Amino acid sequence: MTAIINDKFKKDIFSYEDVENIKKIHKKEINKLSKLLISRDLELEKINENLDIKLLQLEESNKKMEDNKDVLAIRLNAKTKQLKEIIDDLDEKVKRRTKKLEDSQKALIDMLQDLKKAKSKEKEEKEKTLAIINNLSDGLLMFDNKNKLLIANTEAKKFLNLDKKEIIGKSVSELFEFPDMKFFFDIVGKDIKEVFRKEFAIKKNLIIEISTASIIKDNRRVGKFALFHDITREKTVQKLKNEFVSIAAHQLRTPLSAIKWTLTTILDGDLGEMNKEQKKYLQKSNLSNERMISLVNDLLNLSRIEEGKYIQIKNFLKIEDIINEVIVDEEVKTKKKNIIFKFKKDNNIPDISVDKEKIILLIQNLIENAINYCYENTKIYINLMGNKTKNEIQFSITNTGIGIPEELKNRIFTKFFRADNAVKTETIGTGLGLYINKNIVESHGGKIWFESEEKKDTTFYFTLPIKNKVEEF
Amino acid sequence: MNKRILIIEDEEILLNLIKKKLIDNGYEVLTAMNGKDGFDLIKQENPDLVLLDVIMPILDGFEVMESMNKTSDFNLKNIPVIIISNSGQPIEIDRAIKMGVKDYLIKTTFDPTEILEKVNKHI
Repeated sequence: MTAIINDKFKKDIFSYEDVENIKKIHKKEINKLSKLLISRDLELEKINENLDIKLLQLEESNKKMEDNKDVLAIRLNAKTKQLKEIIDDLDEKVKRRTKKLEDSQKALIDMLQDLKKAKSKEKEEKEKTLAIINNLSDGLLMFDNKNKLLIANTEAKKFLNLDKKEIIGKSVSELFEFPDMKFFFDIVGKDIKEVFRKEFAIKKNLIIEISTASIIKDNRRVGKFALFHDITREKTVQKLKNEFVSIAAHQLRTPLSAIKWTLTTILDGDLGEMNKEQKKYLQKSNLSNERMISLVNDLLNLSRIEEGKYIQIKNFLKIEDIINEVIVDEEVKTKKKNIIFKFKKDNNIPDISVDKEKIILLIQNLIENAINYCYENTKIYINLMGNKTKNEIQFSITNTGIGIPEELKNRIFTKFFRADNAVKTETIGTGLGLYINKNIVESHGGKIWFESEEKKDTTFYFTLPIKNKVEEF
Repeated sequence: MNKRILIIEDEEILLNLIKKKLIDNGYEVLTAMNGKDGFDLIKQENPDLVLLDVIMPILDGFEVMESMNKTSDFNLKNIPVIIISNSGQPIEIDRAIKMGVKDYLIKTTFDPTEILEKVNKHI
């Protein structure tokens, strides 16, 4: 119908009916449209509602989100803060660590520098020590614990004539092969035993003294050293001194002999009779002269001891014979003080090989001391024993007298020493007797010692080794 | 006939004292004051014993001994010699004994009477 109407509309030919129809159509159409519109409205409304809901939801969600955002922000902030703190803390720690490290580094550098300084100082000290060792006027050899030579200074090389030879680092058995070192090993042995001031004449005008000792560090032996001390000058001076004493003594002996011979000739009555008083004074002069002679003899003995040519000839002899002879010789003195000798001896004391003259002097000195320093009306005991296990004989002489003061005991064998109480008792004396005795006994390989209590008993002992054959010097 | 002793000693007083002692005891005494004169007298006089000092001018006592030992004269070699010396070092005593002396007397130890005794013993 619409199409017809449209067609009529075009032709503008409408009838009432048409118009009515059109109206109807329109109405219908409008209704339809209205209905549509209403439904659309409803739909729109619905959509709107939905939208509102959605919006609301959105808003809510938004709000929620807003809320969440805040929480998160707070949390984030908190976390951030925490993190920052950690970072700060870490930073601080790093800083501190860095500082510490820097300090340590500095300290380390300082330490290294100190070490360097110390090392250089040590090096300097070592060089200084080495320079001192090298320029020592004494020769020095140092060995390690395995007896390998570590150091030989200039003087040592000179003494050992090893200037151009490479000896450092060599062992004792290698060094043993050097002929110039023979004397050294003869003295100290291959194991470098300890010696003290051993003399050796390397050549005529070079006399040295050798001493060896261990090098101890922290209570442990780390090596050994040998010291060579040039004593040529001392020896020369000593020799001159001894020569002087010897010459002086010999020159003194000539007039002393003349006095002795004259006095004894007169005293024997060979030059005529003299009265009692003359004789008494001449006897006193003779005694003084004899004392002078023994003093000169002591000086001679002393110089000979110190020249090192004391023990010369050894003979086999019976020591008891010498003791008996000396006792007889001292009769005058013993009678004067009313002293009795008690001589006791073991049976079968063997003959011993000794320098007779020196042994007489030794026994004479001991017996004379015993007489000089004993009280009157006492006994002197002499004892002679043989000790087979030790292969030696032992002599002892005991007197009761002034004795040796405790504080002077360690000086009793010292040259020229006389104890105060001895000087008071017997003014004449050189202080050489016991020094000479010690030398005599020791050069025979024996020992001498004493026991003494002041104002009581004093005993001197000596031992002499028993040897099977006579030794010649 | 008296035995003849030759004393060779350069110290006059000692020489005279020992000479007197020996003469007083029946000996005939010859004297010399140095080794050379002494050795000449030994050769000329052939004494029965010689008392010989050591330290002397011209020839010392050891040189006199050496000269005596060197000679081919058997009589000279057998003359007993006693040394009288101021020095008595063992090395000297040893040397003298090896040269054949009868005794070695140190002057400060022995007086003329004791020397006389030694002379009596060895002649």
